[in-house]
Amino acid sequence: MKPVRDIGLLFNRHTLEMLRNPVWLFVGFSTPILYLALFTPLLKDLTSSPGFPKGSVLDIFLPGILALLAFASGSSMGFATIFELQKGVIERFRVTPASRFAILIGPILSGLSMMMVFDAVVVAVGYGFGFEVHWLGLLVLAVLLSLLATLFAAFSTAMALLTKDISSFAAVINGMNLPILLLAGVLLPISLGPLWMRVIAHFNPLYYLVQASRTLALGTFGGPAVWQAFAVLAPSCALVLFWATRVFRKAVA
Amino acid sequence: METIISTSELRKSFRSKRGPVEAVRGVSINVGKGEIFGFLGPNGAGKTTTLRMLTTLLPIDSGTAMVAGVNVAEHPKQVRTRIGYVSQLGGADDLATGRENLILQGRLYGTDLSSVRARAHMLMESLDLADFADRRVKTYSGGQRRRLDVALGIIHEPEVLFLDEPSTGLDPQSRANLWGHIRSLRARGTTVFITTHYLEEADALCDRLMIMDHGEIVIEGTPKELKRQVSGDSVTLSLHDENGASERAHSLLGAASYVREITSEGEHLHLYVEDGSAALPHLLRLLDTERIGLKSIRLSEPTLDDVFLRQTGRSLRESSGDGEGIAE
Repeated sequence: MKPVRDIGLLFNRHTLEMLRNPVWLFVGFSTPILYLALFTPLLKDLTSSPGFPKGSVLDIFLPGILALLAFASGSSMGFATIFELQKGVIERFRVTPASRFAILIGPILSGLSMMMVFDAVVVAVGYGFGFEVHWLGLLVLAVLLSLLATLFAAFSTAMALLTKDISSFAAVINGMNLPILLLAGVLLPISLGPLWMRVIAHFNPLYYLVQASRTLALGTFGGPAVWQAFAVLAPSCALVLFWATRVFRKAVA
Repeated sequence: METIISTSELRKSFRSKRGPVEAVRGVSINVGKGEIFGFLGPNGAGKTTTLRMLTTLLPIDSGTAMVAGVNVAEHPKQVRTRIGYVSQLGGADDLATGRENLILQGRLYGTDLSSVRARAHMLMESLDLADFADRRVKTYSGGQRRRLDVALGIIHEPEVLFLDEPSTGLDPQSRANLWGHIRSLRARGTTVFITTHYLEEADALCDRLMIMDHGEIVIEGTPKELKRQVSGDSVTLSLHDENGASERAHSLLGAASYVREITSEGEHLHLYVEDGSAALPHLLRLLDTERIGLKSIRLSEPTLDDVFLRQTGRSLRESSGDGEGIAE
């Protein structure tokens, strides 16, 4: 199948580009470690305060870090796209008969695989500090993390094609980041907030991921959080992918 | 001659802050198979926009375009398999080697790995890239990079190769070298469609060319035909512009019997005279008696710039610097 092969080719290309960029590799590996090292001590005393879910610091916070990484790796995808636009790489691919979907998804899948490596590092380090590993829960969580990262990566890539220059793109992405992060309960539980905040949070895909991640990290599947996350993330991911492929097809003046 | 590219009334406009901008306004062209066909014009003339429509990168507003026997708007995918395109930016991956770039590109056209390897090897030999084939592209010089871009454009042996401003930023030697490679493409039967704002490039390289300005085709023909339209020799004077020197010179010289045409552009006066060497002493004497100071004087056979100047009232050399750049 030609599209599958195209995806494979563009996956490999993107992976090689990342592995050959030492700065990117260094930042990629050090960021999750920094999150763990800098946030965990801050949260130590918070967990006993009301509004916080029960559990050890890492059990609550580590799934949040994984969700945060998925969001960050997805939404920053467009920076590479802007760079590739300016270097003419995107044009070079668009003028070939390669499927537009492949041009979009190849790099996204490559980014996902790198994210999984970083996630594994976070879990391994967390395990060293007392995080309890529930394999099945983490496996399901990996699927949800991939869905969210793909959703934001496709959105970010399409936004890069539409805005075309780094400053407008950065403005859009940064403007989006803060509300999405605050309204997801990644760093602080949203249950601490007032009602209106909790209502708005329900329109935030990251919120569902964070909720589900806390349950899954504890190895439980029972609550509504998990199926709700799938119900929200799977269709919205498909929708954004469809839209982004269209943007690639029509693209850019 | 068999036609390989034909368009009729191609149009494209863009939205901008100051309202719609018509970048391409009714361009109709016919390019014969195996030609090197040039699009000459200043920055912002609509050359790149036209090229991007022909290469399926930009939707066509109205008009039709046939490339290699396929309607571009209806079957973009079929067009893509038959054409190669090298943008101004090139687009090779810096962190990959030349060979890796070529192999990926060939594979995206659906060619199997062993044929792509052989083809890449052959191209790197013929484009003098063999010595750097396994070096990362970021170590390439401007000329090497450009040749790799061309190789990327022809990895799948397209019928038509589109080159957008191929020699921008190259030193004269690399430019001449690139021209040699482009000519050898033609020798192998590839049609080459090239945009440029370099007069010398259009003149030296193209079998036929079109001059474009403000989204419209101004004139079309072989470089020789176009230059023949400008009769006589061309004289360009630069004046010390004091006391309305250029107006005085304009009316003074315009009245001289041997001056066929005169246009002024800032401090420059462009004249066409029947016989340059005979007219020059007269010109100088006239200016001297009127005490009009002269900075420089240039006598030349007509160039494509004179053709452009005659058609648009502006010099291409002057207007290339301050490109409007809306659609480019």
